[in-house]
Amino acid sequence: MPTPAIDIRHVSKLFDSHRAVDDLSLIVPDGAIYGFIGPNGSGKTTTLRMILNIIAPDRGSIDVLGEPASAATRDAIGYLPEERGLYKKMQVRRLLRYYGRLKGRTVAELDPVISRWLERLQLSEWADKRVDQLSKGMAQKVQFVAAMVARPRLLILDEPFSGLDPVNAEALRAAVLDLRREGTTIVFSTHDMATAEKMCDRILMIFKGRKVLDGSLAEIQAEYGHDTIRVAVSGGLSALSGLAELESVIDHGNYQDVRVTGSPNALLQQLVLRAEVRHFEIMRPSLADIFVRIAGPSATIDGAA
Amino acid sequence: MTRIFAVAQNELMGLLRSKFFIVGLLVVPVLVGGVMTFMAYASSRVDREDRRFAVVDDTGVVYPAIEAAATRHNEEAGEGLTRDGPHFLPERVGTDKTRSNDPTPGLSDRVRHGEIFAFVVIPADVLDSTTGEPIKYYSANTSYTRLSSWLSTNIGAEIQRRRLTNAGVDPALVARLTKRVDVSPYGLVERRADGTTTSARAVDEIERFGIPIFFLVLMFMSVMSNAQHLINTIIEEKMSKISEVLLGSITAFELLAGKLLGVVAVSLLLAVVYLAGGIYTLFNVGRPDLIDLGLVGWFLVFLVSASLLYGSLFQALSSACSDLKDAQSMLQPAMMALMMAYFASMMVIRAPDSAFATTLSFIPPLTPFAMLLRLTMPPGPPIWQALLSVAILVAATVAVIWAAGRIFRVGLLMQGKPPNLPELLRWIGK
Repeated sequence: MPTPAIDIRHVSKLFDSHRAVDDLSLIVPDGAIYGFIGPNGSGKTTTLRMILNIIAPDRGSIDVLGEPASAATRDAIGYLPEERGLYKKMQVRRLLRYYGRLKGRTVAELDPVISRWLERLQLSEWADKRVDQLSKGMAQKVQFVAAMVARPRLLILDEPFSGLDPVNAEALRAAVLDLRREGTTIVFSTHDMATAEKMCDRILMIFKGRKVLDGSLAEIQAEYGHDTIRVAVSGGLSALSGLAELESVIDHGNYQDVRVTGSPNALLQQLVLRAEVRHFEIMRPSLADIFVRIAGPSATIDGAA
Repeated sequence: MTRIFAVAQNELMGLLRSKFFIVGLLVVPVLVGGVMTFMAYASSRVDREDRRFAVVDDTGVVYPAIEAAATRHNEEAGEGLTRDGPHFLPERVGTDKTRSNDPTPGLSDRVRHGEIFAFVVIPADVLDSTTGEPIKYYSANTSYTRLSSWLSTNIGAEIQRRRLTNAGVDPALVARLTKRVDVSPYGLVERRADGTTTSARAVDEIERFGIPIFFLVLMFMSVMSNAQHLINTIIEEKMSKISEVLLGSITAFELLAGKLLGVVAVSLLLAVVYLAGGIYTLFNVGRPDLIDLGLVGWFLVFLVSASLLYGSLFQALSSACSDLKDAQSMLQPAMMALMMAYFASMMVIRAPDSAFATTLSFIPPLTPFAMLLRLTMPPGPPIWQALLSVAILVAATVAVIWAAGRIFRVGLLMQGKPPNLPELLRWIGK
């Protein structure tokens, strides 16, 4: 088995009495795009900080690119924090050089890489402008370049596409996919489930510090079964009231998404007796559905896992 | 190490471009020079009015002396654009000793109408030192003392002269015999190896106070010039999550060390510029003998230590805060320590060899100021004291940098309410 890009073994982290990460184990294969999802405060950022060796775990161990997470492994990691992370008064090129030098690169090594990335993301003419003269989208792209300048083997992106217009989001998405093709491993956290579904080879969901999902989208969907049924019946929502084995109903107006404790066939039999069934579809749950099911208001760790 | 230099270079460039440095380097001296020039200019022009005054001389003999003194004074004050003071224009009234009416109400009215500025009444028996009724000066503007002082000096001198003459004593002889005797401070006579001696050197005000205060102010300014910049950058780095990016590349201690190096570089740059200015000035005023390169060496040692000590303290405390307002309150104790070091050192000037001054110079936050001052004031402390104070200071600086590194590591990632002292101490122990 090839060396994984990240190997997290039974890692826990406590802040005072709050358990931010609880016995987390995870393997991120080399060259994969791995999505981290989870509600705010679930432990995603703490996990990312431990991978970056900004903070150390209280228990367990983390290997990055085959070595224990350390000052040396940091040089191989590029990091884009959510939204901010740039000196406002600094010129773009000077800032990118500075971040690259902190990764141990020389200006001579950095300049061609900086120029290439600025050109690719249509920022060349802004190279000598100050960061506070850039639009939010441009600043986000500069941050992305800052994460890339030292040619990292592992790229960690925290909400990389949030706040971007569709054109810029697409440009960054294409850049991320290109990097993956060149062999860079990419870990990104996101609240955008659609992006996670589209881009990630594998997905990790953390909830209350614990891993509650880990696998490919197909594996996760298979695990969560085909228990959501989309129906459109005459009478709408009222036609569904009082049905046996009904667990939950989400009303979308023209149709309803229904979950049952029994079989879909039994539901169909009941429905045809009381209304005209115009649509009946057994659906694969979306990542967003699974997310809400795990982290919704009534969720518990035991129920989620 | 290259990363620490990268941080240091970035800090240095940031500081050189910051308004605090530009203010510290250029604006302050320009401002101080400007204010001093303006004060000098204004003081010679603020009071150029003619001061007309009446003299009621009941002695009948003092007025001519006042008139003569006024003429001399007016000549010295000059005329036209170069005139640098008021002209005093006396006018004699009510000189007969038989006057029955009190002239003061009428003269007061003249003052009110602006005809005269003031008037003075010299009683007849003022020449008699035993009965001595006082001379009275009347004016609407009681806060203006230049004329009353001038009158006091000149009338006093004339009356004293007359009393001496009346007593049969020659005033010129008295003046010669009561001439003030000054004590001039000198250094010690040095003995050469061949047994001959050098003559002792006279010590003047520049050497006694000018040089120590120059070093003290320069030390204070160099340390203070970094404080605001450090607070601003650390808070910006925290608020903008830049610190996360930085800590993803280097350790907190490397970041702290790089920033400290930048701070030291800026302090040294500032100091070198001012020292060069000071040396240039000493050459210009013909006192190159006061240039002591050994002292400059001590200054640089203490400056580097003070920059590291206070710089790491400022950084640690700033890193524990999430916004500028919190940081400014949090840094108040450190600023107070710095101010205390500065003002306590002012007292050292009065008695640099006292037990008080010696004690101060061994308390690390005060050492760079107090010991430096003692070194600038001849004969200076014993060399062992200077070396011991440096050793204590270096040990304290290393300890503070270590503790600051621990606080910095936790503080940079901490958000929300700033910690209290017990929490800070807990961070150090983490």
